[in-house]
Amino acid sequence: MSGRQVEQSTGSEDTAPTLIDCDIHQKWKDPEEVIAYLPDQYKDRGVQSPSILYDNVAEFSRRDAIPDDGSPAGSSIEKMKEHHFEEFGVDYAVLTGNSYLNLTALPNRDYAAELAVANNKWVIDNWLSEGGPFVGSLLAAPQKPERMAEMIRELGDHPRVVQVVMPMASQHPYGHEYYWPMYEAAEEMGLPIAMHPYTEGHGVTRPPTGAGHPNTYFEWHTLLGTYAMGQLVSLVAEGVLAKFPDLNFVVIEGGLSWVPHFLWRMDKDWKALRAQVPYLQKPPSEYVRDQVRFTTQPIEEPDNPEHLLQILEMMHAEETVMFASDYPHWDTDSPVYALPPMSDEMEQAVMAGNAQELYGLPNDPTSLPTN
Amino acid sequence: MEKRFEICSTDELPPGERTIVELNGHSIGVFNVNGEYHALKNDCPHQRAPLCMGKVTGTTSATDPEKVEWEDDGQILRCPWHGWEFDIATGESVFNPHKVRARSFDTAVESTSDDTSEESATDGGCDCGAVEGDQPPVDTYEVDVEDQQVVVYL
Repeated sequence: MSGRQVEQSTGSEDTAPTLIDCDIHQKWKDPEEVIAYLPDQYKDRGVQSPSILYDNVAEFSRRDAIPDDGSPAGSSIEKMKEHHFEEFGVDYAVLTGNSYLNLTALPNRDYAAELAVANNKWVIDNWLSEGGPFVGSLLAAPQKPERMAEMIRELGDHPRVVQVVMPMASQHPYGHEYYWPMYEAAEEMGLPIAMHPYTEGHGVTRPPTGAGHPNTYFEWHTLLGTYAMGQLVSLVAEGVLAKFPDLNFVVIEGGLSWVPHFLWRMDKDWKALRAQVPYLQKPPSEYVRDQVRFTTQPIEEPDNPEHLLQILEMMHAEETVMFASDYPHWDTDSPVYALPPMSDEMEQAVMAGNAQELYGLPNDPTSLPTN
Repeated sequence: MEKRFEICSTDELPPGERTIVELNGHSIGVFNVNGEYHALKNDCPHQRAPLCMGKVTGTTSATDPEKVEWEDDGQILRCPWHGWEFDIATGESVFNPHKVRARSFDTAVESTSDDTSEESATDGGCDCGAVEGDQPPVDTYEVDVEDQQVVVYL
């Protein structure tokens, strides 16, 4: 059993953070909060997006995370602080937004883009303004890349905005040059781009697995890593990582045990098929190691935890892996019990160090301005 | 002391062609690349496939994903197993010229007249995108032409 000590200290000027949670989902109590930020022509439409067709028998949000007033899990800052941050000693909470928006599932890209912008303004005004452990993400509707580039430049200089988040599912693989204006803007603003699942198979996205539409949420959830693989190989092979060397990507909620397999396979194929991707100046795995980070949740749980540790070592977790709980969703990973015992150095990097470096976070969260 | 092997007449090995021979117990491919002769060990360093039976081709180079160039046409040998690319002149792997290299041999065309033989390039290499590494290439051998015979020394 993992016996990780939970340090209750929050970061200060002198001590580095010990726990940065890279996937925290905040939600509005009432959609009207976000609708207020929509352009007038969309106010009647409100917040409308194709919802998930795969029923989760375990439910999507944790019942124990529901605030006392019965509002949605993740909608109360006080509840979140007491229930998760104080309980585990979370120094920074990276807000990744409301994945239920399913932005890339929307066929109307103009509306999708404005819904993203409205959501982000709401996050800045209602969550990042709280300060404390909160840093946040700009949700993006990448089917409207020029508008997203404009948004990234406009909102991306907020001191507590630390990344852009795209749905993991898209109409084209993310290496496609159609999306590059958005990448250019993110690189310019020094913001990593994360990909987070939920939209796979919904609305106008592609089937959620290579084999097509599965029957159950069980299958859908098991194969999330394969969707991440599809996006990642595209980002490498189309030259996005080579063309934007200062741009980082984050794969959230795809698990990670597939990563060594993926990197080895890519390098092997590159040795044979390099002529199709001649702009890669080093083996593909090195681009991933240098520019891509993976969050831990939902962590795989082999019968022998030592096997998971071996996989972490294979993927250079001391550089590439960042802890995420996915609070308050049903498959939250505990900061204490989810990961196998590991060396102090790797543990520090995974639980906080890699995220602190990627997002450029100061030791003292209170030193970050709120506007 | 190098041994001298007559391979064939130059007429029998026109540009773009190759012949595979056994010399000193080694299987060796002798290539005519645009009038220059090269010899490579017929043995891929990856999984020991008969490298010299592969396709002779060119390859691509790019510094920007939107500007891909075709180059080194006729100078690249692609292994029939797995498709690794090697520079026929140097035996260097295209993806990593130092880490993986096919064994090449010196070749020359030696004429019947007193014209001195034409030295083949064995260290020119392709200018395709190169990745630094630290292992030696595939062996190449000296090739000469003597009396219109293609001759390999090893």
